[in-house]
Amino acid sequence: MAAIEENQYRVRVARSASSGIATEFAVVLEERMTVLDALFSIQRNQDASLSFRCACRVGMCGTCAVNINGVPRLACRTRVKTLGTQVVSVQPLPNLPVIKDLVVSLEPFFAQWKKIKPALRPKDPASKELVRVPHDSNYARNSAGKRDCITCGACYGACGVKESSEEYLGPAAINRAYLRLLDPRDSAMKERWQALNEERGGIWRCHTQMNCTSVCPKGITLTDTITRLKRAALSPGQFENR
Amino acid sequence: MNVYTGKLAQILQRITGVLLLIYLLLHVHTIRELREGPAAFNAALATFRNPFFKLLEIALLGTVILHALNGVRITLIDLGIGHTRHVKLFWYGAVGFGLLLFLAGAIPMFLQGVLKV
Repeated sequence: MAAIEENQYRVRVARSASSGIATEFAVVLEERMTVLDALFSIQRNQDASLSFRCACRVGMCGTCAVNINGVPRLACRTRVKTLGTQVVSVQPLPNLPVIKDLVVSLEPFFAQWKKIKPALRPKDPASKELVRVPHDSNYARNSAGKRDCITCGACYGACGVKESSEEYLGPAAINRAYLRLLDPRDSAMKERWQALNEERGGIWRCHTQMNCTSVCPKGITLTDTITRLKRAALSPGQFENR
Repeated sequence: MNVYTGKLAQILQRITGVLLLIYLLLHVHTIRELREGPAAFNAALATFRNPFFKLLEIALLGTVILHALNGVRITLIDLGIGHTRHVKLFWYGAVGFGLLLFLAGAIPMFLQGVLKV
């Protein structure tokens, strides 16, 4: 490899064809360049076979979540300069099966997501009335800052419990269940609690490592959600008067 | 480092927990000598008076402090306190404050127990 010039970065990308062994590319740094820009630059100028996912490029869709320098982050929201390293290591999200290069299958993530019945189950399915949720209601207060999940899978990739437990729901699914439990329109409380209270996969598997909170690109305090649910499980009835 | 502080804290909590369990077993084993009378108990205690065991005692102090302070941190988090400051709680609260407590106890223990000053 040629000598690295000033303002040139080395981007080390995990490749599935070589069983995850990284290939190193030299990329010239442009002002405000993100890791996603660097990946595009590699794909356009050096290796067209490099695979990665992206969609919105503004941190709204969560498609481009990858492991950057050992931490799950959104490639489109991570500026290369802010990493503070001359070599940037990009790997697929941990705890998920790799399809190709940086592309992982989110199948296990959504399998857990489905377990908590993510969709709203209205109390009165025939009702056409809109339910008013005042800003100072219990739901609005307790769900503040927790409604922004973009299902990027960063928390799932960072979770230390997920490393050793296939059954664990994962922080994102638990957060979703919490929002549904708070929702005054919802009627599937019993089924959700069943999944949350499950011995091997439920909230009790969380060891409060807080990796999920640390990596969430939307700043959701996921461990706080889990500890709230643990406390609620110990004093039932908290979600009854929504 | 900050991202995986919680993981490091959990690993340390487990290691110190196991070490404290080993100490507890040794402690109960020694106390058990009381059944054999004062002479047997004194003989058992004499084993722990050499400098090697004094050093282990200092290490025990560090283990207890770290385990206890990190335990307080986990309890606070379980009560919903300090979720956004958990990294500072660990480094400043458990490690930093713990180090001060450790030095306050370990220095006199070292001087008196090991150096016999």
